Amino acid sequence: MHYIDPKGQSRRAFLRRSGALAMAGTAMPFALSLSAMSEAAAQSATDYKALVCVFLYGGCDYSNTVIPYDDASYNQYSTIRVPQASGGIAIPKDALLAATALSPTTALPGGRQFALHPQMTALKGLFDAGTAAVQLNVGPLVVPLSRALYNNSNKRLYPVPPKLFSHNDQQSTWQSSSPEGSTIGWGGNIGDLVLGQNSNSLFTCISVSGNAVFLSGDSALQYQVSTGGAVKINSVSGTGSVFGSSTVKAAMAQLAQQARSHSLENEYNKVTKRAVDAEGQVTGAIGSAYAAGTFPTTGLGRQLEMVARLIRGRNALGSKRQVFFVSMGGFDLHDNLIANQGPLLKQLSDALSSFQTTMAAEGLGDKVTAFTASDFGRTLASNGDGTDHGWGNHHFVVGGAVNGKQLYGYAPPVSINNDSRQAGYEGHVGQGRLIPTTSVDQYGATMGKWFGLNDAQLAEILPNLRNFGTSLTVNETAGGSVIYDYPKDVGFMKPA
Amino acid sequence: MFEEEVVAAPPGAAGETVPATAAPSASVASPAALGAALAASALLAACGGGGGGDGSGGGSAGPSGAGSLAPLANTSTAAGYMYTSAKSDAEAARFLNQAQGYATDGDIAAVRSLGYLPWLAGQFDAAPTQGGWDWFNGRPDRANLGFDNMIWAQLMASPDAARKRMALALSEIFVVSGNDIQNMASFPHHVMAGYWDTLVAGVTGNFRNLLEAVSLNPGMGYYLNTKGNQKENNQGRQPDENYAREVMQLMTIGLVQLDSKGQPRTAADGSKLDSYTQDDVTNLARVFTGYDLNVAAGEENASVSTNWTARPMALFPARHSTLAANFLGASVPAGTDGKAALKTALDTLHAHPNVGPFIGKQLIQRLVTSNPSPDYVGRVTSVFENNGAGVRGDMRSVFAAVLLDNEARSPAGLSDANFGRLREPMLRLVQWGRTFGISSAVGSWGIGNTSDSASSLGQSPLRSPSVFNFFRPGYVPPSTAMAGSGMVAPEFQLVNETSVGGYLNFMQGRLPVTAGFNSKDVIASYASEKNLVLDASALVDRLNLLLCAGQLSKASTDLMKSALATPALTAASSDTNKMNRVYAAVLMVMGCPEYLVQK
Repeated sequence: MHYIDPKGQSRRAFLRRSGALAMAGTAMPFALSLSAMSEAAAQSATDYKALVCVFLYGGCDYSNTVIPYDDASYNQYSTIRVPQASGGIAIPKDALLAATALSPTTALPGGRQFALHPQMTALKGLFDAGTAAVQLNVGPLVVPLSRALYNNSNKRLYPVPPKLFSHNDQQSTWQSSSPEGSTIGWGGNIGDLVLGQNSNSLFTCISVSGNAVFLSGDSALQYQVSTGGAVKINSVSGTGSVFGSSTVKAAMAQLAQQARSHSLENEYNKVTKRAVDAEGQVTGAIGSAYAAGTFPTTGLGRQLEMVARLIRGRNALGSKRQVFFVSMGGFDLHDNLIANQGPLLKQLSDALSSFQTTMAAEGLGDKVTAFTASDFGRTLASNGDGTDHGWGNHHFVVGGAVNGKQLYGYAPPVSINNDSRQAGYEGHVGQGRLIPTTSVDQYGATMGKWFGLNDAQLAEILPNLRNFGTSLTVNETAGGSVIYDYPKDVGFMKPA
Repeated sequence: MFEEEVVAAPPGAAGETVPATAAPSASVASPAALGAALAASALLAACGGGGGGDGSGGGSAGPSGAGSLAPLANTSTAAGYMYTSAKSDAEAARFLNQAQGYATDGDIAAVRSLGYLPWLAGQFDAAPTQGGWDWFNGRPDRANLGFDNMIWAQLMASPDAARKRMALALSEIFVVSGNDIQNMASFPHHVMAGYWDTLVAGVTGNFRNLLEAVSLNPGMGYYLNTKGNQKENNQGRQPDENYAREVMQLMTIGLVQLDSKGQPRTAADGSKLDSYTQDDVTNLARVFTGYDLNVAAGEENASVSTNWTARPMALFPARHSTLAANFLGASVPAGTDGKAALKTALDTLHAHPNVGPFIGKQLIQRLVTSNPSPDYVGRVTSVFENNGAGVRGDMRSVFAAVLLDNEARSPAGLSDANFGRLREPMLRLVQWGRTFGISSAVGSWGIGNTSDSASSLGQSPLRSPSVFNFFRPGYVPPSTAMAGSGMVAPEFQLVNETSVGGYLNFMQGRLPVTAGFNSKDVIASYASEKNLVLDASALVDRLNLLLCAGQLSKASTDLMKSALATPALTAASSDTNKMNRVYAAVLMVMGCPEYLVQK
């Protein structure tokens, strides 16, 4: 049903695929017992679980989203970014910011404190209620890196993720561990391992945004719906006539869905056939829209409402384990950061809050976990009224299964210093482009484990995970040495 | 096509190498015959005149030698062209569908009469017709119109359709999206129209001029932040890096070092070699500081006068970084003035060996096929590097090299299960309109924004979601045969269970003359098709020729003809029933995968 890149990671692909087959009840050779022992396979799956990836296209600015708040850090931030009142892009430390200052259950070391962007009041509410957590400074890594190791010429020992700072490539890397051209994402791989638990495997990985490699697995396909649900193709679906002719409709149905020998024609028709085959079931399952006001009428609000309707219709769809993808754009704020980012973050915050509230009302508050991802973080340095492409970023995890009201990972330096003899050199690669201290693989593994995947499966779908579970000692010339831990389970999810 | 088996004589072997393929059905042009054809095109050039850009500058012919296609004859690449004229209407339609996106009876006759290259030279040499800025600014009702009206008018109605088709291809490499401009600029519609005119001028200009015109265009200034970009200061403020990065990644050299055939250069360990580093970006960013809108004295400000929208941005030296800038092996010494720094930067980018294969391959993908052979890319690169008169970056010759190449013209592509490209949804609509005589009664072309994928095309001209275009040239659709065989299929980034239905429903709704767009103001006439309505077979054959260049299989046309037999029609049938047959025929063709994939 699909093709494997012959030069790709075929062993991994084979294992993942056979895991899916095993769960579908296919005869299982001895060598595949690895997958069979997985929690996911062992579960009778009487319950429901879903992961929802909220992708922030363009690269969300980290330090105006989760803002340094303790006086020392804030002052550094404000000096570098220049106060808004002076025409800069540092958000003022005023009553508004105090209202979104975070008081985590466990204080961060070194007196570090953070506040959410002042427009993220709804997300602050989730944080306080224990259903949201902040993952500090997460991003793509192959191995743990300091600035010295990043600059080390031995790229075999200290590989750097390819095509850093490039939008399309880092979107792809976040979603699939590889730059543009990648065809297998870790959301899709999670789907591969659970699709046997769904009566229609097509509904395992669903995007309400455009095409995203995140949801494509070895077996699992990305299925796409609009914010209005599945589109019925009037000239192809069902019976009736087109322009007064039932024979024309029958011909359309044949032309648009038949197998073709030309590769592009065939794939196009396969999509059309999938759309036609699924539309009726989806339309029946999602029911009517939620009452007005349940979700914001923003792009993300409408997408998450559709996710909620699909989840509400899970029994009609025969779904027990699902991975969703939604997105919003506009974060590439080289200019107008102050004017434009706040409204975007408010949309994010409000939509996530409505979604969590709705899931709780459906009795699934602790069965659905949403998390944010983005191309990259941005520079701490300002270019006048915006910021440039960076690397590590702060992200959010939302749901009743989240160990909320906590910040995870390490508070990054608030520095743009490029002098290795002085403090603030380590931790970024210039202009405050952060070296992540938690990898996307760790971030994904933490959620994957909650979703029911075992260690071996996580290692198969997150190819760099084997390089973590370690520590790295970073020696600051001007400071002391700092030890960073890279646990395979960051800890922000409650036990499955 | 990603292997090299069915293409023509390699560059440099003209006149002595027998092509590896079996003898083609088309005649093989001798160099002498080709020379005659090119001489004819030079004559056309003399008649057509050079023409200037309108409104936005951006370079017409000029000292760069970007004139007629005559110098192309001096190239070994052109000497290898085996298919110089159409031997059938279908071959002419195939060429036209690639070159201008549609075919009419008259165009087919002209191509058959002139041959491919002279026809193309005639298109390039003809004086440019009214540009987008002049069109928009000249509309008395412009307060109620937008750049969507402008671009649809240009694409649906401009006499110089080939030029506009090629400019649309450039708009997918040099992306400025009206989605964002409309929220940024005063006079956003003038800005978009001026940018469009810059691209149109670029079709027949030189790449170096196009690069400069794009870099200094106020639309690009808004979009990628060169407008208002300031030099560094001692508080840590840095120049905005956006344009410096994207002009390299997307508009000139790409991320990876390429050989002349577009293949990545690799290090000893097999890893691909990067084209540039973050340091190159940071340094190049200094060159693009100091620019802002060019509002002349006496024009009050940018929200009162529209004149700046048709001018390159101006340099404000006090805001320009005078730090040294070292990038891509070039150096701008500290203290260099902004104009000289820009020249060094753009000259460096233009001279980079990646540009030919990087731009050439994308133009092949936009006009001909998603997976050109490396040799095809190499032949276009060689023309990019030297048009035959020693000129690098002559875009007329580059477009000609894309369209005249044996791989584009050979019938072999028609039986290759991997050749061709998915027609972009917006191009399907333009083709439909142009083929069936679309017009706008009030002349405002209110087709609107067709971006919604659930209810419309999922694509609208000049409305890319980001600078990365609607789709990436390297997009590999997951879970497909293409993914398994190492092919790309860029346009498939727009294909999903929503958009396939959105497109068909949209077309079904818009085809009838009782529907169209803007309260029936914009409708097709179907003048010739109405005459064939009682002969379903002739009707389908005509659509197959014009829309598909005869690429529908007999099985498909038989199915369509048979389906159209019900309901039966006679001369006495109602007009509604007659027109329904026309619409049904068009919808079946435009929904057929053999149409959707253009070969």
